[in-house]
Amino acid sequence: MVTRQRPRSTRLLVVVLVSISLAVITLDYREGQDGPLAGLGRIALAAMAPLQKAVTTVTRPIGDFFSGLVHLPSLEDENRRLQVENDELRSVIARQPDLRNQVQELADLLGLKESLAPSSVPAIVIANGLSNFRYTITIDQGSAAGVELDQPVVTGSAEAPILIGRVVAVSLVSAEVQLIIDRNSAVAGRLSISHQTGLVEGQGEGDLRMSLVVPGTTIEGNETVVTQGYEVNGQRGLYPPGLVIGQVSQVIPGASDLQEFVTVRPAVDFAALEFVLVLQTQRAGG
Amino acid sequence: MLRRTLALTGVIVTCLLLQSTVFSQVKLLGVRPELMYIVTIVLAILEGPGEGAAVGFAGGMAQDFLLDQPKGITALTLTLLGYTVGLARQYIVSPSPILPTMLVGVGTFAGVIFYEIVSFLLGQLDDPLTFSIRVAFLTAVYCAVLTPLVYPILRRIFEGSRPRRVVRF
Repeated sequence: MVTRQRPRSTRLLVVVLVSISLAVITLDYREGQDGPLAGLGRIALAAMAPLQKAVTTVTRPIGDFFSGLVHLPSLEDENRRLQVENDELRSVIARQPDLRNQVQELADLLGLKESLAPSSVPAIVIANGLSNFRYTITIDQGSAAGVELDQPVVTGSAEAPILIGRVVAVSLVSAEVQLIIDRNSAVAGRLSISHQTGLVEGQGEGDLRMSLVVPGTTIEGNETVVTQGYEVNGQRGLYPPGLVIGQVSQVIPGASDLQEFVTVRPAVDFAALEFVLVLQTQRAGG
Repeated sequence: MLRRTLALTGVIVTCLLLQSTVFSQVKLLGVRPELMYIVTIVLAILEGPGEGAAVGFAGGMAQDFLLDQPKGITALTLTLLGYTVGLARQYIVSPSPILPTMLVGVGTFAGVIFYEIVSFLLGQLDDPLTFSIRVAFLTAVYCAVLTPLVYPILRRIFEGSRPRRVVRF
């Protein structure tokens, strides 16, 4: 079963491979996104994109089937909850035309239209990240379509976008998007009713965590959390204001009197993402 | 030799494709399996520490270049994992059919923990300890469950592509 090998040559091989690995780690760590290794990474990303797209097209129904089996017990509860939510939304929709007119007038008045609805690149999700510690997806549009680093990625439509993340790596024909549930993701958020702001951070599979909320704030259950636009020294934040992040699921008092924490249920099922929009925002201020 | 290289390249590319597509949707309690760990450990069991380390290095490097993180961490982890498992296998004489499953489970757990420690030292991961251990444990269980399905396929590929030697007495 096992082929005996000369121990000395095997040990030498391992020493060489470990040394190369350490050299690669060091080199890439020092040079970051501009180094030659990052360039090779972009080439690998581009080379894999057509294969991933083909495999996803073929296997998505199979994956959906198994995923559906896993989630079967929770589907009944989900269905009941959605019916209640549907009734509530119908009443909200009835009031929509008036509200939409008001919002449109205000947006035009304040010159915010451009920042709320920038041009966008539609893309298909062709793969998910490989790691259990990072939450990313790969999309089938890259720099050839105008996708750039740090551009926000949303789902839904450009008029009513739900934030899902930002571009963290771009090749010519594909891009990698860090999801807002990733533990390295942090988004400036605002509660839509109480207007309090905070930092919404990813927690992996669970709900997001909004910190730096002023203690004593009256927060309603299911209150929507949206992105908070800001500008520092003429440099805009990564995300335009008003992108939906999720809904408040729980309010957790902080250990000190300085801040409160809020858990936020994401507005989108990240496992079921299929189509997304990359917003072509400009960060540099005028 | 060329046949062997092509077979191993095919296995590595297939692993990366399946892990980033099919297995990203079929998770066990939120965790996906580490197919490259299974390949490395199975090859180390079948072929010994040298090939285990070499394929671990190649597969790990391929995986690293598709991730937006410092490259080389997975390659380092899988090189050492392939070598260690291959070395350990030479001293285990048990004919038990569940031996590969056990080695994949234990090896994956140790490998994921090692990966997390290196990533933490490089400032790439800042996860709570309980989360890290939970992910390592579930990944190991998932990989062990997949081993009886994957092991015969990999053995067929590896043994079928092994260079034929002429032995003269």
